[in-house]
Amino acid sequence: MSKIETEHHDGTSDATPGGYEGQRRPGELVFGAAMLLGSLGLLWNAYGISGFDALSAPGTVPMATTSVMVISAAIVFLRDMRLPRVSGETVLKDILPGVVVLVALLLIAYGFLLQPLGFLPTSALFLVTAIKLLGGRNWTWTIAVSFVSLLIIWIVFRIVFTVLMPAGIVPEAEMVQVLRNLFSGAK
Amino acid sequence: MDAILAFLTVFTQPELLLLVGLGTFAGVYIGAIPGLSVTMAVSILISFTFSWDVYPAISLMIGIYMGGVYGGSRTAILLNIPGAPSAIATALDGYPMAQRGEAGTAIGVTTVMSFIGGFIGIAVLAVAAPFVSEFALKFQPRDYMLLAVLGILLVGSLSSGSLVKGIFAGALGIAIGAVGRDPLTFTERFTFDLQIMQGGISFIAVMIGMFGVSEALMQLHHVEKDAVRQKITRIVPSLATVRKHLPLSLQTSTIGVIIGALPGTGGDIAALMAYDHAKRVTKKPEVPFGKGAMEGLVAPETANNAAVGGAFIPMMTLGIPGDAVTAIMIGALFIHGLNPGPMLMIDKPDMFWFIVGALVMANFFMLFFGLTGIKLFTKIVEMPRSVLIPLIMLLSIVGAYAVNNSISDVYWMLGFGFFGYFMRHYGYPLGPVILGVILSRLLDDNWRRAIISEREDLGRFFYGIVTSPLSLVLFIAVILIFVSQTPLWRRGKEKLFGTQVEEARQ
Repeated sequence: MSKIETEHHDGTSDATPGGYEGQRRPGELVFGAAMLLGSLGLLWNAYGISGFDALSAPGTVPMATTSVMVISAAIVFLRDMRLPRVSGETVLKDILPGVVVLVALLLIAYGFLLQPLGFLPTSALFLVTAIKLLGGRNWTWTIAVSFVSLLIIWIVFRIVFTVLMPAGIVPEAEMVQVLRNLFSGAK
Repeated sequence: MDAILAFLTVFTQPELLLLVGLGTFAGVYIGAIPGLSVTMAVSILISFTFSWDVYPAISLMIGIYMGGVYGGSRTAILLNIPGAPSAIATALDGYPMAQRGEAGTAIGVTTVMSFIGGFIGIAVLAVAAPFVSEFALKFQPRDYMLLAVLGILLVGSLSSGSLVKGIFAGALGIAIGAVGRDPLTFTERFTFDLQIMQGGISFIAVMIGMFGVSEALMQLHHVEKDAVRQKITRIVPSLATVRKHLPLSLQTSTIGVIIGALPGTGGDIAALMAYDHAKRVTKKPEVPFGKGAMEGLVAPETANNAAVGGAFIPMMTLGIPGDAVTAIMIGALFIHGLNPGPMLMIDKPDMFWFIVGALVMANFFMLFFGLTGIKLFTKIVEMPRSVLIPLIMLLSIVGAYAVNNSISDVYWMLGFGFFGYFMRHYGYPLGPVILGVILSRLLDDNWRRAIISEREDLGRFFYGIVTSPLSLVLFIAVILIFVSQTPLWRRGKEKLFGTQVEEARQ
């Protein structure tokens, strides 16, 4: 098969995932080591399910798959050890730039605030912070865009798809009821 | 007669028709916006539509699938950024055409060719699936097991440079799928005595994390890239152009259906192989390949849409997904209480014919939306990524939460999102993970059924494989894929052909 130019693609496709052939990216060795250790831990855990009881025991397939994981992770790790590092790349610049770390922290904060604060306030905070951080436009634009998109998402998912998100401090059910009354009152 | 009625369901119910249309429309744009993928959209949508009836839910998802596979070509042509993996090959000749000012022609040809490819794929599905499912009834548990292994290996070997990483990803997926209480003996597996692990990990959370959040995080590397404007004139291609490329489109559609039907391989690989084929059979292209050859557009675009129909064949008949999107579709059918596999075709043939009908409809909608609305299109695609990325993340969170109304699913989703981000960076394919999670149960159940029926005797198990032609073929295929990626094979090949290559060079 001919070599496909991936320079203009984000490297997000399954047909051409990231990573380089014949070179090792910064942090790849650490990731490989973590995979190997994690696989070993899982293999130990799988052995604990039913040991070598019987071929049809519940632990057989888990043990087989985790063994495959250990072997493949070991091959990847050993191969990576011998490969030269990609020149000019650093973890901070190419793998985990500040913006990725910040957004990841925002996501984690979202996860923690979702239940106590409720969907609407948490999402509004998240969108405003993230869009301001990424777009760097003025506050009016940022807040307007965030609120309009949040409103659309809320209407589509709360009303059309009837997805129930944690209400938190916002009296959401009452709001929906008011909306419903408004429409049924018009009839 | 029943089949025809079921086939026509989607045409006669305005609500379903509307949903297919809406889905296709949305799919074209989702596919076109770089950073939004069909897999992502369908996995998020499952969680939103699971309270719906099965017909409307499937209608919407089929529309998005069909539209999305096509939509990726738009940005590939206009911006040299494939909107979806299946459009990578399209960019090779589509963008040079746009640079020459022929963007309209390129989009027109792409649309018509996608339509033709899509149609051939659906036709093959309609004809082949009933036969395959009848044949599939003869499958033994061990055949299902081998088929599942084959699917995971195939997606691992074809989708990345490194088979080892693919195998690792597939095995990881199977392990993730095994978390929780074993359904047969109720033994706890990989639960680490934690309450949260007992019920297993929701595969939708894994899916949304891997395809939604990790992709959005990846896009953060390209926030600043701006869209380029292109002027587009005439779109509808002339009949002569279509007729000229018809023979090639039939060949590449065939490639598309076959690749699509192989478990684990989908439109992206079909498109690349079709492009390669076109390059080999087109002796004298008007414009060289890579510089804007029309053939370089026709081949991948027919193939990736033909692969849609193909991908439904193993999904409907065997319960084994043809690619990542059909893997998610299987999840959707499960959620709606249906069990894809040979019995589904026999118990509920109307479901199958309904899906065929919806695919046909989606294909027409794709042709319509493809040839219209270019102005609106350029506006939407120019949506800044600084807004798009946070929105994808928000939708992923809502989607993960919505399935079980559980906050722990959100944590799982985020965890797999971060993990998938690193996997992408270090060249581990994500497709096998999802396939592994989905097929884990099937593989485990069938292995145990097979080995119990052989009285726990591995020797008898292998004897069974060797004496059944079907099992033997599957087994050899598994071994071949495995061996073809090892250094042993390469050395062997060099020994066999190496000397000839040397001679030819001199």
